[in-house]
Amino acid sequence: MLKTMNQKISIFLILFASGYLYLTYNLKEYPYVPVDSDLVPKLLGYLLIGLAVLLFFDKSSETEEEKEKRKVPGKELLVLLAVGVMILAYIFLLEILGFLLATALFVFFCSWFLGYEKWKSNLLVSLIFPSVLYYLFNYLLQIRLPQGILPF
Amino acid sequence: MGALDGLMQGFQVAFSLQGILFVLIGVVTGTLIGMMPGLGPISAIAIMIPVTYGMNPSSALVMMAGVYYGAVFGGSTSSILLNAPGISGTVATSFDGYPMAQRGEAGKALAIAAISSFVGGTVSVVLLMLFAPALAQVAVSFGPPQYFALMFLGLTAISSLSEGSTVKALISATVGFMVATIGIDAQTGTNRFTFNNPNLMEGVDFLVIALGLFALAEVCFLVKNRKDQSLSKQGDIGNLRLSKQDFKEMKGPMTRQSFLGFVLGVLPGAGATIASFIGYITEKRIAKKPEEFGKGSIKGVAAPETANNAATSGAFVPLLSLGIPGSGTTAVMLGAFLVLDIQPGPLLVTDRPEVFWGIIASMYIGNVFLLILNLPLIPYIAKILKISRPMLISLVIIFSLIGVYSISFSTFDLYLLLLFGLLGYLMRLFSFPAAPFILAFILGGMMEQAFRQALTASGGSLMVLIEDPVSIALLSISVLSFIVPIIRNRVRQRADHEGTEQ
Repeated sequence: MLKTMNQKISIFLILFASGYLYLTYNLKEYPYVPVDSDLVPKLLGYLLIGLAVLLFFDKSSETEEEKEKRKVPGKELLVLLAVGVMILAYIFLLEILGFLLATALFVFFCSWFLGYEKWKSNLLVSLIFPSVLYYLFNYLLQIRLPQGILPF
Repeated sequence: MGALDGLMQGFQVAFSLQGILFVLIGVVTGTLIGMMPGLGPISAIAIMIPVTYGMNPSSALVMMAGVYYGAVFGGSTSSILLNAPGISGTVATSFDGYPMAQRGEAGKALAIAAISSFVGGTVSVVLLMLFAPALAQVAVSFGPPQYFALMFLGLTAISSLSEGSTVKALISATVGFMVATIGIDAQTGTNRFTFNNPNLMEGVDFLVIALGLFALAEVCFLVKNRKDQSLSKQGDIGNLRLSKQDFKEMKGPMTRQSFLGFVLGVLPGAGATIASFIGYITEKRIAKKPEEFGKGSIKGVAAPETANNAATSGAFVPLLSLGIPGSGTTAVMLGAFLVLDIQPGPLLVTDRPEVFWGIIASMYIGNVFLLILNLPLIPYIAKILKISRPMLISLVIIFSLIGVYSISFSTFDLYLLLLFGLLGYLMRLFSFPAAPFILAFILGGMMEQAFRQALTASGGSLMVLIEDPVSIALLSISVLSFIVPIIRNRVRQRADHEGTEQ
């Protein structure tokens, strides 16, 4: 039944919009205003369902170029996933290790993982770049980045 | 206060040591970021926003404006040298710029781009200076119904004018609007879609959206193409010098496209991309030798470059005088204003003349900077294109993460950023445009407020939205903007049909 990609996306959008609408109908009422906070979200929910239905019946098939763009080899997907995991690890460690250490580790390993081979310049960049940023934010812009386990 | 007094005050801001310094920082960083493959003005502005915290608003905005047109300019460099436009606004430049570079005339193409950008930018700043205050004066009398109609027009225009499917653009805008409804409702104090998470009560920060949907999503594509070695192959760029004959050829497109580009930039939804394509097509149509286009024509570089820079300043007209962005990029620019507690709009001219005129005056200087910096320095600046992709990817990721962290100081927003990065990547994979999303996200909150204020004033009657000629006109144009693509598709289908029959 779901032949085209548009139809699959459309079903997903309808489910999403239904969930959103369910939430809008459970919003707390506030009786003292003519337009309560649920009106606009309700309109949006129904609008999205309407648009998703239009997309479902949209006959214009994807162009070759669009299909080509969508093809992601499995190996690349794994690489993307790995970068995603590294970002997650970075976010998790940012406030524990501190900005300097976490960033240095991330820049070094992420660049190395993606195929940057000159390890000496990699090391140099991953030390200098976070230090410059840290100095810029903490001392010039007065925005405190997490200090972590380092004393400065 | 007259425009001349205002401009004088603006020049005082722009010509102060601080002003000049920040314009310089703005255009240089803008050019550098814009040059990076994949990173356009939206990412450039979003990355630079954290730097402006705590800065004097007029200096900060002068810098951000510089980042904006610097990035548009920088995009043309990668278009010409690599045939890899950083942003859609410079795609048309690559049609003739890249063939020239292949002929060994990269320097010449870059010089043409620099000069026509300068002319387009400067002419349109003059026009901006004339039109923005006038439009602001008209807009002072606008109430919520008119504002609602204006924003509605902005949203429909960008959806119907964007490339590809209009339905997809509208879906993108609707979801963007939905994300804007997250948080405490300003009128009633109701918690909407926060799932009792205190981090969501203030809503999703626009930097999370801008950096996620644009910078991080772009990174995903860079990861896929990280082995592209075309960057390091780039050799000598050749002589920068232009002959008298070259100038003669550039004169026509530069004059025409400065005005046309400006007008297209002012219109909601159009912006630099459409201006550059229309500029390219019109010049090709009226050229004496249209067959030269696409093979390295001088006019073919001058036209889109003039037009996209003219459109960039044009886009400031609705932003400064109405407070309403007409494109994804100006939407992020509006975010930069709001971070600094400056509300652009009709009152900006009278309330904060130093900001309003400072930005305009700084654009004159910024354009001069771009020209004198870039002409002699192009060969050196172009070296940045050789930066290794794996390294570039890691650095862009860090910039995005730190940009978000430095406004919220919570890792929750970083996870959210990653989520929107994933969404942006999926949207790109399935050809959903991201610009309507960010515009709807920024306009959404304002639109809902205007809508409800109008209805509150009228006691709940929807008639208030169509009582006034201005709102009627704006809403009718919005409706018309939908009909145009439908007709266009019909005509195209018929043409295809006839083509196959023959």
